[in-house]
This record gives sequence, C-alpha cells and structure tokens, in this order.
Amino acid sequence: MNFGIWGVVSLLVYLAALLGVAEVANRAKRDSSPSDHFLAGRSLGTFVLFLTLYATAYSGNSLLGYPGRAYRDGYSFIMATGFMMAIIVAFHVIVPRLRPLAVRHAFVTPGDYVRLRFEGPWARPLRLAIGILMSLALANFLLAQLKAMGEVASVVTDGRIPYPLGVVGLAGIILFYETRGGMRAVAWTDAAQGIVMLVGLSALLAWLLGEAGGLSEITHAVAERRPEAVRVPSATVSINWFSTIALMGLASVLYPQAIQRIFAAKSGRALKRSFAGMTFMPLATTLVVTLIGVAAIARFDIQGAVATDEVVPLLLHEWGSAGGYSTAAALLVFLGALSAIMSTADSCLLSLGSLLSRDVLGRESRDEAATRLGKRLAAAILVATIPFALYRDLTLWRLIELKMELLIQCVPAFLIALHWSRLRAGPVLAGIVVGTVFSAGLTLGGVTRIEGLHVGVVGCALNAIVAVGGTLLSGSADQQSAGRSQAPAELHLKHEIDKYS
Amino acid sequence: MSGGRRRIHVACMIIIVLLYVISVPWYRDVDQPLQVWLGLPDWVAVALLCYVGVAIVNGVAWSVAEVSDESDDSGEPR
Repeated sequence: MNFGIWGVVSLLVYLAALLGVAEVANRAKRDSSPSDHFLAGRSLGTFVLFLTLYATAYSGNSLLGYPGRAYRDGYSFIMATGFMMAIIVAFHVIVPRLRPLAVRHAFVTPGDYVRLRFEGPWARPLRLAIGILMSLALANFLLAQLKAMGEVASVVTDGRIPYPLGVVGLAGIILFYETRGGMRAVAWTDAAQGIVMLVGLSALLAWLLGEAGGLSEITHAVAERRPEAVRVPSATVSINWFSTIALMGLASVLYPQAIQRIFAAKSGRALKRSFAGMTFMPLATTLVVTLIGVAAIARFDIQGAVATDEVVPLLLHEWGSAGGYSTAAALLVFLGALSAIMSTADSCLLSLGSLLSRDVLGRESRDEAATRLGKRLAAAILVATIPFALYRDLTLWRLIELKMELLIQCVPAFLIALHWSRLRAGPVLAGIVVGTVFSAGLTLGGVTRIEGLHVGVVGCALNAIVAVGGTLLSGSADQQSAGRSQAPAELHLKHEIDKYS
Repeated sequence: MSGGRRRIHVACMIIIVLLYVISVPWYRDVDQPLQVWLGLPDWVAVALLCYVGVAIVNGVAWSVAEVSDESDDSGEPR
C-alpha cells in the first residue's frame, strides 16, 4: 500500500475519532445555554486550557503559511518566533483586567465587555462596529483554514482526495462536531490535536536535520543556493520586523476565540499557568516550522508565492514515500498539520456563531434559542466561505496580514479602555472608522507597507490618536458644561478598572 | 498585586522590550560575510537567543502576575 492510500486510511480513522469526541462532549453538556455551548460552562482547567490555547494559536497559517514565508524570505523569518511570543507578552495588558470583569458579569463574547464598558448614544454603534470587524477577521481566518485543509488533504493523499473535496468534506465534519459538542468538543479535540501537532513537527524537523547532516550543513546549502536567504536584513526589512511584532502582538490578543478562552477558564490561576506555559511554545512550534521552511530552500525550487504554501505537504510526501518508519512518521505529521488547521477552524466557527448572534444582531438572551441562532449563523458563514476557499490564488500569509490589519483597529476599545476609564465610546468609534478606512483603503489600493510599516499599524496609531484626543477634547467640553455629571454605570466601571490596576 | 511582585513584573517587561530591540539586527552591517554560530547565521542565532530570553522572562512575569477571580457579585449595577 503506498503513501497516498495510507493517507486516506489514517484520515478516515482520525475523522471517526473526532466524531466520537463530539458525541461524548454532547453528553457532557449541562444545559443548552450560550455559556455552556460557547464557553464549556467556564470549566476549562490548566491542562485543557493550555492545549486549546496552543492548538488555536497555531493554525494552518502556522503550519503551511509560515514555512511558505520562510521558504520565500529565508532566515529573516525568524521574526515569526518573536511575534508569536509577543502575543503572550501582550496578554499581560488585557488578562489581569478583563478576567475579573468577565467572571463578575458572565461575559460570553468580547462585545459583552464593550456593552458594559461604554455607554451613551455611540455605545451600540461601537459594539456593532467591533462585532463586524471581529467577524470579518474571523471569517478571513476561517477561509485560510479551509484553504489549508484542502491543500494538506490533497497533497498527502496523492490527489485521491481532491482539493475541493478536502475543503467541503472537512468543513462539514467541523460543522458537525462543533454544533454537536460546542466548546467542550472543540477544547477536547484541540487538546489531542495540540499533542499530535507538537510530536509530528518535531519528527519532521529531526528527519530534515538528519537528512542534511545538521543545521550548519543546511545553512551552508541555503547560502550556496540562495545567498540572500542568509544575508543580514536591510533597514526596510528590520523596520518591517518591528512592525510585524507590533501588528501580530497587539492584534492577536484580540482574537475573539482567544478572548473567549479567558472567559472559559475555570480560574484565574489556571489562566495564568496556561499563559506561562504558552510563552515557550513558539520555540517548540514557530521556530521549528521556520527551520523547516528554510531547510526546504536547499531541497526544492518552487516558483510562485502561492505554490510555496505547499512546502510542508511536499516535504511530507517526499518523506512518506520512503516507506517503513518514514511513512508512519510522515502520516503522524500529516495528521498533526491537519489537526492544527481543523482545531483553529472549529474555534473560529464557534466564536463566529456567538459573535454574530450577540454582538452584531444584538440577541443577548442566555437561553437555548440564542445558542441555536449562533449555531445556524456559524453554519451559514461556513457555507458562504467555502466558494472563496475554492479560489486558490492568494497566499496564506497575505490572508493573515489582512486579518490582523482589521483586528488591530480594535486595540483602543480593549487595551486602552481597560486601563483608562475616561475613554469614551464616540471617539473610540471615530478612531476605528479612521483606522479601518485608512488601512483597508490603502490595502485595496495595493499599498501594504509605508516605509516597512504595515498600513494596519499606521492606521492603529491614527485610530488611537483620534480615540484618546477625542476623549480629552470631549472631556474638556464636558467640564465646561455646568451641572453635567458622569453616569452611574460609568463611575462604577471606573471604580472596577481602577480596582484591578 | 503587591509592591514586590509589581516591581518584578515591571522589570520583566523592561527586559523583554530590550531583548526585542536587540533581536532585530538593525544595528548590523548588511554586507557582512556569513558567519555561522550554533549552526545558524550569527544574526539569527542572536535573535533566537533573545527570544529564548523573552520566553524565560515572560514565564517569570506570568508567575508573579495576579489574575484575580472574583466571582461573587456584590450587587454593582450592570
């Protein structure tokens, strides 16, 4: 039996296991409330929380997009290890303040915080704007996962599962187990997927190092084949390095699915321990996939940016075709890659359902009907995303950047608002509009960088200036108007925010 | 967070920022010849060591951070 057939068999076994987990998770449900479905009844302990954070953070982008980018850029993509770590650093700004509020007020979605934090006529439009931005970013993220699922399934099964069937079939499986088991199914499968991914990637790197004779040999081979891949980066690349750390670090903490895991934790202590463990994972994952991408420079000559997303599938195919132990190990990596992709896609889908029903449509009830609506909306979005996934002419890395440029515009509403109780809804909304129009306008016009800085980072800076400046100006105006006092809820939030400072 | 823990936390954050600044090779000559260290181009090895440092220091920062878990609702307005 050749590698492609083994690929089909292992895929079917794996999918059957996922469906079994969904059934067990479904039976573990306490009720049908949004809190139980979308947050697993806020019961995630350190071990599961850590693995679900890990599997969600490391996605199809990390497994396929990052090696592809490392293949194109060479060693300068070591920046990825830095920016993935920056995310766990940036969580210091948000977690200690947001967690107590989330517990006290039983938040389900990020919009619940916005609803509590801001008031006045602009509060509802602000919540809607943030809900739409986050939903667009999540839909983009979901799209990237669907594309990656199709690529992996197609290449590793030798085309027996064609790209469109991989996209549609695996999307259907995700929809089934997410709808059936909710966050419990997602978190439990994430935990298993995280372990498989970690073991699989390490095995692939060990094989590459063994084949090449060590890291030094890889570096010299790369230098010979493509000298610019080992050269010290230019000033523009260095600026872009800093910009990418800022973009990814700030925007990634605002992933709705990451924020919802802050809400879903069993305790603050579990959350703290999970993040302490997560800080080391870029060394075990991002660094590994970067080295895999760089090592591939010496093995393949891939033309075209989109095709470079196939670096890992090509390596797996080559490795697995050797037979014996290699086939089994390559299949393990294949499952690891696929599981990473699916675990991110299921988290996106779960968050999208809750975000659309509560934050965008404003259905804030905590009953079964709200859960059902969230499930239906998630299914609708998934079906609507599939046709875009079948269009292959866009790199995974570009999709990541597009998503981040949208998400980073929510920074003032969370990172600044959690630390500065005077921040007002109107200026924050104005800042989001300015930052988004600036970033999206330039991106659609073909401009993605300004002197090496991402347009999203520049847009976020403008956004923050408008939000803070507008608040200061409106504060001065308020002081001048006699007899006006702060609303009770605003005073209450100021007290709560100050309390956790 | 107590005063001592807060100081450690702030110190960790400052060290992390410094490590990030050093990790990006903005201060190096673009035309320098390839020098391999730890199997990697030397500027990559420096970046990697900085990131290992960030991981350790950030781990310390999370261990001293206080993530409060007040689940009792004391009746404040929603």
